[in-house]
Amino acid sequence: MASSSSKKVYLAGQEIPSSFVVEAGTSLDVTILVFPGISARIPLTVDLTGPGAEVNLKGLYLSSATDEVTFEITMNHRVGGCTSRQLFNGIASGSAKCAFFGKIIVAPDAQQTEAYQENHNIVLTEEASVNTKPQLEIYADDVKCSHGATVGKLNEDEQFYMRSRGIPEDEAKVLQMISFVAPVLDGIEDEALVQRIEEAIRSLAL
Amino acid sequence: MSEILLKISGLHAGIGDKEILKGIDLEIGRGEIHAIMGPNGAGKSTLSAILTGKPGYEVTAGTIEFMGRDLLEMKPEERAWAGIFLSFQYPIEIPGVTITNFMKTAINSKRKAEGLEPVKGSDFLKLMKEKMALVQMKPEFAKREVNVGFSGGEKKRNEIFQMAMLDPVLAILDETDSGLDVDALKIVADGVNALHTPEKSAIVITHYQKLLEYVRPDAVHVLKAGRIVADGGRELIDKIEKDGFEQF
Repeated sequence: MASSSSKKVYLAGQEIPSSFVVEAGTSLDVTILVFPGISARIPLTVDLTGPGAEVNLKGLYLSSATDEVTFEITMNHRVGGCTSRQLFNGIASGSAKCAFFGKIIVAPDAQQTEAYQENHNIVLTEEASVNTKPQLEIYADDVKCSHGATVGKLNEDEQFYMRSRGIPEDEAKVLQMISFVAPVLDGIEDEALVQRIEEAIRSLAL
Repeated sequence: MSEILLKISGLHAGIGDKEILKGIDLEIGRGEIHAIMGPNGAGKSTLSAILTGKPGYEVTAGTIEFMGRDLLEMKPEERAWAGIFLSFQYPIEIPGVTITNFMKTAINSKRKAEGLEPVKGSDFLKLMKEKMALVQMKPEFAKREVNVGFSGGEKKRNEIFQMAMLDPVLAILDETDSGLDVDALKIVADGVNALHTPEKSAIVITHYQKLLEYVRPDAVHVLKAGRIVADGGRELIDKIEKDGFEQF
């Protein structure tokens, strides 16, 4: 297991590697953050090349106004006995356009692969759009693979429940969005960064 | 006659083109507990939705005054700040938001609206502890996500806990007794009774008389097909128990 101290956080707009190679018995723990006001195309290929390699890849995109954000992820299980987990959550407001293309490739001999991918999105406005396209290319037969993608709005019943307790509508939305992004932020210990994310969320709610 | 807290006059309301409430008149005095009883589909939940400002419902005629203010002009959160509380028939689950965070945000939102500083951490925890004890919630309850994985009884106790935390002037209990076993019903009723003072009022909306054996109303109204068809005292409860709602 990777310790949380080995987690790498990259901010879009700064340099992000476009490929990683994860060798036998090693692990990679990467989180990519995209703040409002950033447009970016983020291609990223991860090759798992030796047994026991572990990958934990996460992403969060908070997009507003005319931001355009595209992730192109390729998770390449070249050998068996490796595990990869992907979680990408995004919130689109204004007339932002977000896209997530996530490919998992499991080579013919890569038996006992575990590969998981999730991409969840919240669209705050009529004008914002999200395109999510998971792709699985599995050439081995003894594998555990899953993917899930959702695009939705903030739940209005939850909002009314909170408002009926005196929480203003905007604040209710902020609470909902913070809880939505929490699984991605799990393990990030930089308090200032978490604070910055909460402020970015707040800016989307208004 | 005590001070009028809530005054509903000629209220017509519904969802879209469908009229559900067809002319409601009701006055609740300060300190009074009123029961509103009626069969399924009478409009009981619509009335609580209108009182709390639930989106999607439309008032087509009539007025509602709460402590002299035009209630219908107020947002749901403003109604909460003014002292209205609804115990939901079906409490909503909010994944990812803990009870502590939920209640702290609610209390501080009201304080902010009143121009006050956020509540002190130690004062808040003390209040939480005291009110959790009132509905017999264990300490770990504070860390749980709001209503997520709660049993029916826990959800209703959580409603009464929130009511205790927010200390409303007018509590509306919408079918709070539905789905409760006798023990949970007793806890809920004891909580409601403990919170009731001469300054506060309550509307108990119910299909059955169960809860009314513990929470004793000052007045009883029968709501049927969107109208109040009978008003009286506790003797109405016995009459309904004996002969049902068909007699009205």
